[in-house]
Amino acid sequence: MIRVDAVPIEPADWESSVPERARRKGWKYGHLTIRRAEGGKRLLEALLLNLDNGSAEIASTPIIDGGSKFSSVTSAIPAAHWAEQAVGDLWGLHASGHPRWKSLILHEAWPPDKFPFAVSADGPPSPRESKFLTVGGQGVHEIPVGPIHAGIIEPGHFRFSCIGEIVANLDIRLGYVHRGVEARLAAVPLRHARHVAESASSDSAVANALAHAQALEDLWGLEGPKRAAAVRTVALEIERVANHFGDLGALASDIGFALGAATFGRLRGAALGFGQTLSGTRFQRGFVCPGGLAWEVGDAQLRLLTQSLSELKPAAADACEILFENPGVQERLEGVGILKPSLADEFGMVGPTARASGSPYDARCHFAHALFPGLAVDVATETAGDAFARAEVRRKEVFSSLRLIEEVLAALPQGGSLVKTPETLPPSKTAIGIVEAWRGELIHWITTDEQGKISRYAIRDPSFQNWTGVAIAVRGNLVMDFPLINKSFNLSYSGSDL
Amino acid sequence: MLTALLHAARQKHATDAVDFPDLPEGVGGLPRLTTEPCLGEACGRCVNVCPTGAIQLSGDPENPDVSLDRGLCVTCGACIAGCPTQTIVADPSTKSAVIHREELVLYSKPTETKPIAALDGVKALGPFRRSVDVRVVSTGCNATDLEVAATANAIFDCSRFGIHFVASPRFADVLLVTGPVGRAMQKPLVSCFEAMADPRVVIAVGTCAISGGVHRGGYADANGVMPHLEVHAFVPGCPPHPWSIVHGILIATRSKATNANHSPQHGRG
Repeated sequence: MIRVDAVPIEPADWESSVPERARRKGWKYGHLTIRRAEGGKRLLEALLLNLDNGSAEIASTPIIDGGSKFSSVTSAIPAAHWAEQAVGDLWGLHASGHPRWKSLILHEAWPPDKFPFAVSADGPPSPRESKFLTVGGQGVHEIPVGPIHAGIIEPGHFRFSCIGEIVANLDIRLGYVHRGVEARLAAVPLRHARHVAESASSDSAVANALAHAQALEDLWGLEGPKRAAAVRTVALEIERVANHFGDLGALASDIGFALGAATFGRLRGAALGFGQTLSGTRFQRGFVCPGGLAWEVGDAQLRLLTQSLSELKPAAADACEILFENPGVQERLEGVGILKPSLADEFGMVGPTARASGSPYDARCHFAHALFPGLAVDVATETAGDAFARAEVRRKEVFSSLRLIEEVLAALPQGGSLVKTPETLPPSKTAIGIVEAWRGELIHWITTDEQGKISRYAIRDPSFQNWTGVAIAVRGNLVMDFPLINKSFNLSYSGSDL
Repeated sequence: MLTALLHAARQKHATDAVDFPDLPEGVGGLPRLTTEPCLGEACGRCVNVCPTGAIQLSGDPENPDVSLDRGLCVTCGACIAGCPTQTIVADPSTKSAVIHREELVLYSKPTETKPIAALDGVKALGPFRRSVDVRVVSTGCNATDLEVAATANAIFDCSRFGIHFVASPRFADVLLVTGPVGRAMQKPLVSCFEAMADPRVVIAVGTCAISGGVHRGGYADANGVMPHLEVHAFVPGCPPHPWSIVHGILIATRSKATNANHSPQHGRG
């Protein structure tokens, strides 16, 4: 259970008070958004996380009636710059003092007067501004890429400003897969919400289902069975292993190392097979649910899983050796796409991206409630912040996850895997679920109204923080290294667009 | 280098030995209906748990006709887990793609027998012959994209079937669409199709692409491909299995039904 304290702040103090609170020792910024409180009033809220004791606080301040502005905190907390832009798009509010104000999620394809979360009583919305950052000077040229990309990947637009072959700036425009997931989550019957939550970014289906379940279980003050906690841990780590294999294979593919690509593609298939053995499907959809697991896992499945794991470990070690010990691979990855630790920290990077730039933050350690109790997670860190460091963190995490899975399977508690959950939610409460998804800290943040209906369901996908890292890391690099740098982050578009 | 060579030499054959194998026992696939009598409205669990309203009961409340629209099904397995009479069970088949949208709707009491789209194979190669170039446009949450990409890996190895993924619509025969096609992807999708040369076919892969799935009816207008383009094959699932995706590409380009859409003069010879 994550304790969440409410901290009301006067509108005039917002700009100074929130950064002060976020800078206290042991605290970090989590997310920023708006919700509708009693009587239709809009409340601006900032979620701050305490890594020392695994608690959270929500600073909140009202948006003045009929107002179309709020004070930006981005200059003091750069990590909040996208969250404030998203508020602009969805609520029609302007963040005064934001150093680079523009639309983030909704652009030309949307009617200029469409603000999905705004109502007429809010007063006139602040208009959207859709523009790219341009770089001036002699010889500067632009390369537009997307939204449809050359490979089999999600859509997004990249606008490069280049001097010769060197990238001077990259402006990333996402939003092409905005599906209205947050609004849908607050609208559907509670029993269906988990399926929508999983589809926020389906390569992280387990992580999303888990964050959703945790937040709801916290709202109810309910704890699932021990066996479910253990199996959820296995499911989450399988998801991590499968995706890390996939990423390492994709990196190999992008540097033209076909053997690595084929080998890791095969390993990823094997890891997805574990998910299928455990849960019934390769992406483990519909398996983790509020109260525990949607169905039991039989002993025969667990035996099969333990056996396949012992076969996978040597194969994974072999594959990592041929990839990481290859001088050609090292040459291509080292020193490419460097994200300095200071910038990674300032812009609020999370997950393997942050850990490759020296951050020791892993939500599995700091918010350990997500895990089967008593497990010690090795936090994998590197300091170089380049593409090689990001690959290296993934390699370390694969083996630490395989060890975790083995440990949990060896001591799997007996008993049922599901407790009955209430059909309604308690009124006027807030809870957050935090999971270390394979891309990093994933937050599901749920608030209920006086009737016990979900009044705001906010998701902060790790990619939402980390996209800025791609833009920073690519500066000063060759244009043709962009695919490789992008792959070394491998972020979700759908999780960011929602 | 030597390590790499030794590693490669030690590898066993990775590719599935059988094409379109059934899913192993205990693995959840798409739901299918059996003729086992249903308890009807007294039970109604399947209708209640289905997040997209894919299941409907009609007729006699005590012994109803059950219909199941796989084009809405997000393969969450909740109906299968909840059905006490085994009227709804998991379908192990990976040959789940169809040519017509109506074929995705299954009935517990069939009114007429509908032919399941079979692989006509070499008998009906049509204009594309044995080489199919596929341009993928993703508009969704990437699960289906990952399964589409997986068809090209060593396990499924779709190039054996003449299927290749290409970087430009200019040299594509097939437009493979994933995701529910929200507002911002509608124009790019149609532009991509318009850039393709005839003959060309469109495949909606994944439940979102077919109907919008869990996003259907939302403010982002994300209701699948059909409002924007004519679709020649449908691959249900959330995400569909890689084998089902291969099946979809093959039936769209090889079946008699789709070949009838293309006049011979458009053939590439």
